[in-house]
Amino acid sequence: MSDLKITKLDKYYGTNHVVKGIDLEIPAGEFTILVGQSGCGKSTLLRTIAGLETADGGSIEIGGERVNDLPPRDRDIAMVFQNYALYPYMKVRDNIAFGLRARRTPKAEIGPKVQRAAKMLAIEHLLDRYPRQLSGGQLQRVAIGRAVVRNARLYLFDEPLSNLDAQLRDEMRGEIKRLHQELGKTMIYVTHDQIEAMTMADRIVLLREGRIEQQGAPLELYERPATKYVAGFLGSPSMNFIPCTLSVAEDYGTVMLPDGVTLSLPPSRVAALAPFRDRSLLLGIRPEHLSRATGEHRRGLAEIEVITDLVQPTGSRTYATFRLGGVEAVAELQSHDVSQPGERLKLFADMNRAVLIDAATERVVGNG
Amino acid sequence: MSGPTVRSGDRGFRYTLVAPSIFVLLLIGVFPIVYLLMVSFQGLTMTDNDTSFQGLLNFRALLDDTRLWQSLMHTVFFTAIALPAELLLGLAMAQLFIDRMPGRQVFIALLVLPVVVAPIVSGATWSLMFDNRFGPINQILGWITGEEMAVLWTVKPHLVYPAILMAEIWQWTPFMFLLLLAALSGVDKSQLEAASIDGAGWWSTFFRIVLPAIWPVMAVAILIRGLDLFRLFDVVWALTKGGPGTMTETISIFTYVKGFQQFETSYTGAVALLIIVLLTVLLTVLLKRVSIAR
Repeated sequence: MSDLKITKLDKYYGTNHVVKGIDLEIPAGEFTILVGQSGCGKSTLLRTIAGLETADGGSIEIGGERVNDLPPRDRDIAMVFQNYALYPYMKVRDNIAFGLRARRTPKAEIGPKVQRAAKMLAIEHLLDRYPRQLSGGQLQRVAIGRAVVRNARLYLFDEPLSNLDAQLRDEMRGEIKRLHQELGKTMIYVTHDQIEAMTMADRIVLLREGRIEQQGAPLELYERPATKYVAGFLGSPSMNFIPCTLSVAEDYGTVMLPDGVTLSLPPSRVAALAPFRDRSLLLGIRPEHLSRATGEHRRGLAEIEVITDLVQPTGSRTYATFRLGGVEAVAELQSHDVSQPGERLKLFADMNRAVLIDAATERVVGNG
Repeated sequence: MSGPTVRSGDRGFRYTLVAPSIFVLLLIGVFPIVYLLMVSFQGLTMTDNDTSFQGLLNFRALLDDTRLWQSLMHTVFFTAIALPAELLLGLAMAQLFIDRMPGRQVFIALLVLPVVVAPIVSGATWSLMFDNRFGPINQILGWITGEEMAVLWTVKPHLVYPAILMAEIWQWTPFMFLLLLAALSGVDKSQLEAASIDGAGWWSTFFRIVLPAIWPVMAVAILIRGLDLFRLFDVVWALTKGGPGTMTETISIFTYVKGFQQFETSYTGAVALLIIVLLTVLLTVLLKRVSIAR
């Protein structure tokens, strides 16, 4: 059974069409992440689900009940805000208990519930402090505590980690994911950070300009993007996009780049790609699918030769930037594969993992 | 003490620099009070310039002066009605105007107009409005009831208080409205949203989240208006001159009448001292209660 079902949802701000007829169904217990660039409508969608904004069209069902006309308090949801939104004149304990008291939970139950939520988030020692006495990370823990103390059907997170510094963000990412595993509740999480989306989600819903661009499990989106936008959005550094054309003869396919470089396709992919021959295409290949060439040739690996412009070691990996097919491209290599700019490199491009994109429609082609 | 060492000549120069301002402060601040204290122990009246020491004579007379204590009670009564009324009305109006709506700015500007009218002018205007034969208030009442109305607003004992309070509240509610509107717009929206999701109703949201947030501004507004009401004069003077009899005489009017109409100079000095002491005690207690800087 699904905990949330959205049908043809529309939302306008004035004449600005922010959410454009979105259909979305979220099964019970799933951790769904709405991700996209700022202005893509993800926060608006979340706020409309919460009832903080009214829907201008379509329907929202929570637990099978249409909630379009219900106020937020009657939607059986809990929410964590980007700026924490803690009540500054109440102690942490009262902040967490506020929702329980407002819902007339028996007094005897409130204490233990607050205690349990605090323990889960390791903020027991902060219960008698005021929000102004806490650090950013502690504030966010309290805000999460205030949400999880209530037994809601749906938990909503609106960019909860974007005000934290990088290290704390890494820590809280794990914390929230662990919390989801412990509680087994349906959670919807909004972020613009693709790493948060990849690491935490059961399912990613990638939004673009008020529409769902693609949705699915993180690795599914990563490995089988439907469009150039999805391919470019997920992954860091981003996927390389190189203009190309395709020529097919019998069961032999070759990708040709503008600078004359040719890369042969694995035979298994040729049939599916054949209809797109002689079209203007983009070759999409992730930096980690370009590797230092070794003597032995494996099936699907195409050899290219490049001259590095820029070398960026990160310690575990080294990023090499070079020109390929008239555009700039990046390869993610072993730390010592390349040492300085200007070096001539032989690389293998893993054509099993590369995608071909129709330059006109920006849709990935021949992908099953 | 840290800082550069000061030679004695330098120190003298410093004192020379601050001397004028100290002198002015003494002249306008301390001298009148000392002089007041002196006068209150003498027996000055319009006809008698007896400057001999009279001991506590004037102060003993204070205790027996029922008109004084009544005027003080009138002031307290005006304050007790007008202050909460202005506060609640101002708050309700601010709450109404906090949401965006077409023409909001214009409405707010119009609503705030009474504050910029000089109190004595608004008092005179209300006096015309309440006029028993030509005032528009009686005329409008006449249209509604269908018969000639000649209500003696500023004369009938049971009508003077409502009349004065109406004028007073009309003029100063906008002041509360403006301050509270500013305070309300400063309340963090996301806290209100969090409360609405938490399931808090309007009242508990207001008392637990909005009120604590606007309290510092509200406390200052109450303090300012409370002090203003303590020296309530213009509106009452314009409408009733403290009458009928001394029924609406406030402590300010009483002091004015004693000092500048009856010229009981020394006795008025004692009254003024009493007011200073009362206000000082009251303010000290209030400022302690109202922990404005939280």
